[in-house]
Amino acid sequence: MSTIPDDPGDVVVRVVDLHKYFGDLEVLKGVSLEVHQGDVLTMLGASGSGKTTLLRCINFLEEPTSGEIYVGGRPMGFQHDASGRRRHAPQREINAMRMDIGMVFQQFNLWPHMTAFENIIEAPRRVRRQPREQVEEEANRLLEKIGLLDKKDQYPARLSGGQQQRVAIARALAMQPKVMLFDEPTSSLDPELIGEVLGVMRTLAEEGTTMIVVTHEIGFAREVSDRVVLLHDGRIEEEGTPDEVILNPKSDRSRQFFSTLLH
Amino acid sequence: MPDTIFETLGGAFDPELFWEYRGVLLPGLLYNFYVFFLTVGIAIGLGLAAAVLRLSPNFLLRGFGTVYAELCRNAPEYVVLIWIFYVPPLLLSVAMEQNISFTPVLAAVIALGLSSSGYFTETFRAGILSVPKGHIEAARALGMSRTLALRRVVLPQAVRHMLPEAMNQLVSLFKATTLVSLIAVPDLLYQVSIVAAREGKALPLYSGAAIIYFLLIFGFSTLAQRYSNPWREKSR
Repeated sequence: MSTIPDDPGDVVVRVVDLHKYFGDLEVLKGVSLEVHQGDVLTMLGASGSGKTTLLRCINFLEEPTSGEIYVGGRPMGFQHDASGRRRHAPQREINAMRMDIGMVFQQFNLWPHMTAFENIIEAPRRVRRQPREQVEEEANRLLEKIGLLDKKDQYPARLSGGQQQRVAIARALAMQPKVMLFDEPTSSLDPELIGEVLGVMRTLAEEGTTMIVVTHEIGFAREVSDRVVLLHDGRIEEEGTPDEVILNPKSDRSRQFFSTLLH
Repeated sequence: MPDTIFETLGGAFDPELFWEYRGVLLPGLLYNFYVFFLTVGIAIGLGLAAAVLRLSPNFLLRGFGTVYAELCRNAPEYVVLIWIFYVPPLLLSVAMEQNISFTPVLAAVIALGLSSSGYFTETFRAGILSVPKGHIEAARALGMSRTLALRRVVLPQAVRHMLPEAMNQLVSLFKATTLVSLIAVPDLLYQVSIVAAREGKALPLYSGAAIIYFLLIFGFSTLAQRYSNPWREKSR
């Protein structure tokens, strides 16, 4: 397609003209964006604007209705056959690509029957089939990094929400993904626990992790993002640096969104 | 008149009689366990398979799983037992033009296995559905296949959730193993009925059999609860 520019090596995620329907409801109405290596892209927008759906399309938890997504240059969830027709990709291919896409959920989604440590080593062991010693060493390093090495043998039920979310971040990082997706990672946390999770995310950003973050934390977005996208009703309303989008939004609608958010 | 009733009832408890016949009664009891364990294997295997079918996105597979479970669940165990004992061998004999018969144990294991697999289907299904969707999404997002996520994330949690009900079903299944005496599997009840006929002492023998079954099942349920509850609670 002519709209796809030649792949400059450092584009990790490219979304081209993405549309998504749920039944008759069009949730995404043609979204295109690019995320470069080491960039932090924050997606803002009112609930129902499509930001979570967009994020979930990137690792194919939602199947786009049309449009294309490339992660690390490879098409996600579809492929072209010999005659150039678009086909559904085999599940095996989708699974393989998901290994390179970390995801952190609003509800943490740690597996309750496994300890923090077991949650972290599960996918590297069973999916990547890495040697036990290497995986355990990496898990300990990650636990130390999130400040929870002393909680490694606790079950999720014994951890606070903030601690659970930090373990969930470590679990995703353990697969050494090319990009990390965060779906409202602090939205179900008590206010006093938000800081510890944002702190871990800030560290990751400083280390050059490629991240796409859906959040309502405007302060975090301003401080940490390289670029901010504001979605409205399934379309990109604003796009630019944090200062451009958050401090000087172009449309009235965007100004209104920020004024409700900042009180 | 009341005197004779009490006198008669007084003879209901006669452990010496059981001790005397331990040579046939104990192997009879072992038959109950033998049938039970084989049946459990079949019931859990088929039940899990049918539950996965019932949860399939494909409506044909889903329909097949549902019909299977309903058939198994809604036919009386005794009828299934007799049916399996007589009908399939008959059909096979005609089809293969030779005389085929099922041994009583084989027929019993197949029949009880099918019957209780219907219940296990529902238990597994409810257990699997009780696992939050997000836990499965987290697994799939890390690149796990559907099967691996089922094995590592869904089933371990489903089994914990379904344990109390599964225990009840195992108890029912153990009780149902006594039905096999009706097609001459020499289990405890069968042996007791033989001895009762020979000795003319129906009361102590049948009462004793009832007490033995009760004690075994009560003991099992109590132990199962004591050891399964802490294990279930640990991770919630």
